[in-house]
Amino acid sequence: MGLPAMAANEGIQLCVFDTRRGHQEGQELDKILFFFPSDFPYSVQLSVVGLSEGIITFTRIFSPDAACEVIEEERHSHVFYQAEPDIWMVMIVEKNKDNESDWRCDALIDVLKEAHSLFTMFNDSLQALLDKQPSGELARSRLYTFINDYLSDFYVGKKIQVPSFRDCLKERRTVQMLTVSREVAIEVQSLATVIGSSSLGSTACKSLILFQDLLVATTLSPGDTANMFTYAVLRLTPHALSSNTSSWSYLRRGVSGSSITASSGLLNSRSSPEEYHHGSHDSSMGEQSNRYHMPRPLQRDNWSKGKDGFLVCDIQLNVGGLVYLAPVVWLQQSEEHMYLCIYQHRSLTIIILIPVCSQTDGEQGIALVKKQLLENASEKIVHVEEKLSRGWGGENAYHVSGYRYLLVDTDKSISRTSPPGKVMTLAKDSLLTLNKLREEVDLEKTRANREKPDHEKNLEICIRAKNNSWIIAKITQGRELYMAIEKANETLLYASDAVEKFSDRYCDGAFSLD
Amino acid sequence: MSGKASSDPSQVGLSGSGALSHVYIQHPPLRCNVPGTQGLYYDDGNKLLLAPSSDQVLSWKVSPSTQSDPPNSDFIGEGPVLSIRYSLDGKLIGIQRSNQEIQFINRESRETFSRRCRPDSESILGFFWTDCPSCDVLLIKTSGIDLLSYEPDLNTLRLVEAKRFSVSWYVYTHESRMVLLASGMQCTIFSGYQFSSGGIIRLPKFEMAMAKAEANHKPVLAAEDIHIVTVYGRVYCLQFDRVSMQLNVYRFYRDAVVQQGALPIYSSRIAVSVIDNVLLVHQVDAKVVIIYDVFLDCLSPISAPLPLLLRGSSVSGRQALQVEDNLTSAYGAMIYGDSWTFLVPDLICDIDNGLLWRICLDLEAIASSSSDVPSVLEFLQRRRSDPSKIKMLCLSIMRAIMLERRPISIITRAIDALVTSYAHLVKMENAFHGGDRSSKKSQNSGSQSANTSTIVSAESLDETMNRGKSIIKGAESETQQSTIRNLVNVNDNHAKKSTSKASLDSVSDSDGDANLDAMRSNSGESLDKYLSTDLLSSDAMQDVKKNTKHDYLKQSPIESEGLGCSSSRSDSCISNQQEPQITSVAISPDEMYHFVFQLVEEELGGDPAYLIADIVDSTKEKLRVHPNLYMMMIQMLARTNRYSELALFVTNKILEPSKEVALQLLEQGRQNFQIRKLGMDMLRQLSLHHDFVTVLLQDGYYLEALRYARKHKVITVRPSLFLEAAVAANNSQHLAAVLRMRS
Repeated sequence: MGLPAMAANEGIQLCVFDTRRGHQEGQELDKILFFFPSDFPYSVQLSVVGLSEGIITFTRIFSPDAACEVIEEERHSHVFYQAEPDIWMVMIVEKNKDNESDWRCDALIDVLKEAHSLFTMFNDSLQALLDKQPSGELARSRLYTFINDYLSDFYVGKKIQVPSFRDCLKERRTVQMLTVSREVAIEVQSLATVIGSSSLGSTACKSLILFQDLLVATTLSPGDTANMFTYAVLRLTPHALSSNTSSWSYLRRGVSGSSITASSGLLNSRSSPEEYHHGSHDSSMGEQSNRYHMPRPLQRDNWSKGKDGFLVCDIQLNVGGLVYLAPVVWLQQSEEHMYLCIYQHRSLTIIILIPVCSQTDGEQGIALVKKQLLENASEKIVHVEEKLSRGWGGENAYHVSGYRYLLVDTDKSISRTSPPGKVMTLAKDSLLTLNKLREEVDLEKTRANREKPDHEKNLEICIRAKNNSWIIAKITQGRELYMAIEKANETLLYASDAVEKFSDRYCDGAFSLD
Repeated sequence: MSGKASSDPSQVGLSGSGALSHVYIQHPPLRCNVPGTQGLYYDDGNKLLLAPSSDQVLSWKVSPSTQSDPPNSDFIGEGPVLSIRYSLDGKLIGIQRSNQEIQFINRESRETFSRRCRPDSESILGFFWTDCPSCDVLLIKTSGIDLLSYEPDLNTLRLVEAKRFSVSWYVYTHESRMVLLASGMQCTIFSGYQFSSGGIIRLPKFEMAMAKAEANHKPVLAAEDIHIVTVYGRVYCLQFDRVSMQLNVYRFYRDAVVQQGALPIYSSRIAVSVIDNVLLVHQVDAKVVIIYDVFLDCLSPISAPLPLLLRGSSVSGRQALQVEDNLTSAYGAMIYGDSWTFLVPDLICDIDNGLLWRICLDLEAIASSSSDVPSVLEFLQRRRSDPSKIKMLCLSIMRAIMLERRPISIITRAIDALVTSYAHLVKMENAFHGGDRSSKKSQNSGSQSANTSTIVSAESLDETMNRGKSIIKGAESETQQSTIRNLVNVNDNHAKKSTSKASLDSVSDSDGDANLDAMRSNSGESLDKYLSTDLLSSDAMQDVKKNTKHDYLKQSPIESEGLGCSSSRSDSCISNQQEPQITSVAISPDEMYHFVFQLVEEELGGDPAYLIADIVDSTKEKLRVHPNLYMMMIQMLARTNRYSELALFVTNKILEPSKEVALQLLEQGRQNFQIRKLGMDMLRQLSLHHDFVTVLLQDGYYLEALRYARKHKVITVRPSLFLEAAVAANNSQHLAAVLRMRS
């Protein structure tokens, strides 16, 4: 299969495998649930997976609880993520000769984590899929479409670009919040209640309310909120709908227009994975896609705004003659299946999650909930949107001049950063140093966590980079602050003063405890 | 006989009184059928019911309490009596003896003098006393009106001014201080004057439309078809058009008369009453009453037409039924009888039987007859008559709809109604405190004009704010200080203007402007609706003033003058022992907590999402919230594991930070470290250093506690605690560090 993107994508390999499968001779292929690029010869795929599994088994001898996380080779980095008890995700990234490929391993692991948690949200856990269908076809086909769709966001040109040092002021799998006044917060809250109460059954609907690409309110647990938020920013917000590019990275805006067509062409030109694996069922493709109704929530252009303000999921229109069925997501905390239903009014995106168990009549029930919502809440929605728009400070609202920062609240899975456009202005040296520093801090955190799991590590590091900028990391009580201050004074005192000022003004003094 | 109305709050409920009626008259009436008297006259200026006999007049003070005091009597000498009115200071009695002569009697000296008109060219239509500064008596003649002033030394009346034009008949109510003089072929052309304590205001001449029955027959408007009513301090005129069978509603502004619409009529005879700013239109032939609340310029009735009920004084149970039966048999026939005269604003005089009834509203019945709960609450919150009862009624309605789990949107609107009302009260209270200080001088010196203008502004502000949520919202954005400042400015303006210029035109013009400007700046919303400033009846102003004073300053129990609560019920159950000082219908957050949320939480149990939503709604306005309400929310959220919402509430300050809230979070966070951290953060943000250090120590962060204590110079935490923590950690290096720092 002569694919134009194939050669270019040698830079990255991503595989998912199940350590319990394929133990018998000749059955090794059964182990592999997913491999990217999928056109790699089996022998290569098997050797990659075999190496990974070998290393995991080996390192478990020394550290039974936490096996290998990273291997650094001269030309490759391997990152490992134990997604489920027996299921591992491994990513191998090739290092280029230029130092553009400086990355932070935790950021790479975060990509795997994100991919897995999004997958779980839409498809259930891999284990559950394998239990449902032990042959693994279901899991494989789901993984195939899902991860390929997911990776489409990482294309720069024809190449996959993994998060590099340039992304060191970003924290994946966290939520960015909009700061609102009490008055507005109450308005939003009462909107959330109206939405929550519009369920028909006894169990209430859950909801997320986003303004632009920022979260305003949620009734989900922090973990589910982060997943849902990530998805929303990727595919649902007005920005995501209109720009057609990966919206979490303003850096990539405009670059990827061509790559999307390339990558989706790539996906479409491939036949189903079963066919690929076994190479024989030429004619069964259509039949199979009917048998495994395949939701592709991450596919681009999947969502579009309907006339009534609700987003419509196009792709599922024709499957099996069904009219659109709202996608179903799985919430980890409440362990519930929910219909996903999105309403959009200007910059306001409202994600409504309707418990599947409360809707016995499926489609009709959802239509009823939608109708109720429009009746009860539309006035409020307009009102809230107006209020939020009035208070909206624009893309650079959270810019603090002189600082380039990343603020993470790990308890609430919230982060706030300098606007990407402002981060771009940092010198490469600053970014590289900050990336290094974050890597150190990551190590330090894991170490501390291993020693004293219930005691939160506090630490502070200030580094003077080659270009004389101050690179600072400060961790207190589950909050992390990373910043780069260029054009700063010579003394360390100045740097720590700057941190203190920032902390007092923007973090309620959370970082000025001593 | 002054039967205690039940003081059991549980009786106040949605069930109402079970009667198919929203309006009733209360037994016993005031009896004034003394043998030898000829007719009954009502002096609305003094609220006296007068019964002249051969040479005396008996007078009963019509007060809200039914203690029927024995009547006073005054000598008036022999002669026919066409009408009789006491002067407002009670020193003189004016008696119209014929259509040519009015006799005045000094009550002390018994001296008399008369005022006659030219018998050939004019005749006297009537007279009334006024508290307007430039004159005391108004004499209405077919040739115009005479403004007369009493000269005590000479014991005579001096003509101040005569206004000449032809008059067919007139209508006057002391409540509105307004006289309407009809002229023209059909008597449809009106001149109007308001003789208020603030001065005389002349209305532009206007004509009322009348439908034609036939081509050549033009109906003539009669005096009994015109009713002046005062509602919410606004003056309206109702014109009964017998041909089209409708009641045309006109509203008076200072410089305009605007027709507001028409009410349908189902009877050839009607009467109009006003009780507690509710308009009652009696359809006498049909023997039913239709109730309107014209607050929002909405002319649709509040409820279906229902009969007027005669109700016995409160005796409970079977006895009451029996009594009611007896009453019905005794008086039933006379309801809406021909001898009934309706007096302004809420009295019925049965001239033949010498009885005076007071009309009352059955608010429970009204409340229970409507399913639109938010509107009912708004309606109730506008009532002023029996605050404690209305308050209990509102609270029980609130509880009921929450326990019934009505849709959240209904609850929101219901809570909005209550919260808006309370926010308004708080604002008025502040405004009055602010205004009082600045205008104390003028008020004390008895400068009436300053007083009145204060009330004008206060009243119009009051109205503006009440007009709806939107305006309240607008005003909300302003700080309260600025509201007060504006109000004070307005007061000053008024004081200056109205004292310096007594001339009618300048007062009406400049004051109107000042008012409008003030309202604009206050509400931030242009009030295009107000083409011109309201014409306010000074009596109404006084009422408003009294009410606001009483309501808002909580000085004395509610004044029920003209507010129509039946005597036997007027002792008004002060049922709530915890708050004996109930003087306003507005419900404070505290009461909301004690009487609604707390009770509902006990009964509702289970999933608190619904209740939390209700509570959040209730904290919308920037009012002081009962601290326990926050405790309750935290408990409910923590109990149901809704961490992300709790965190949102804390970050967005929906749960306002306070030490209590922080401690509650710590308490609830004993199982959940994340919630505990919310509490710790709050302690830190509130700079409660001692507590913060203590909590750090409890959690084993002794080094952090030490550093924090050093930075913020916390010396109140015992050093031994640090040492103990360090020892417990079994780290000698740390122990040494602690020792070094604490020594």
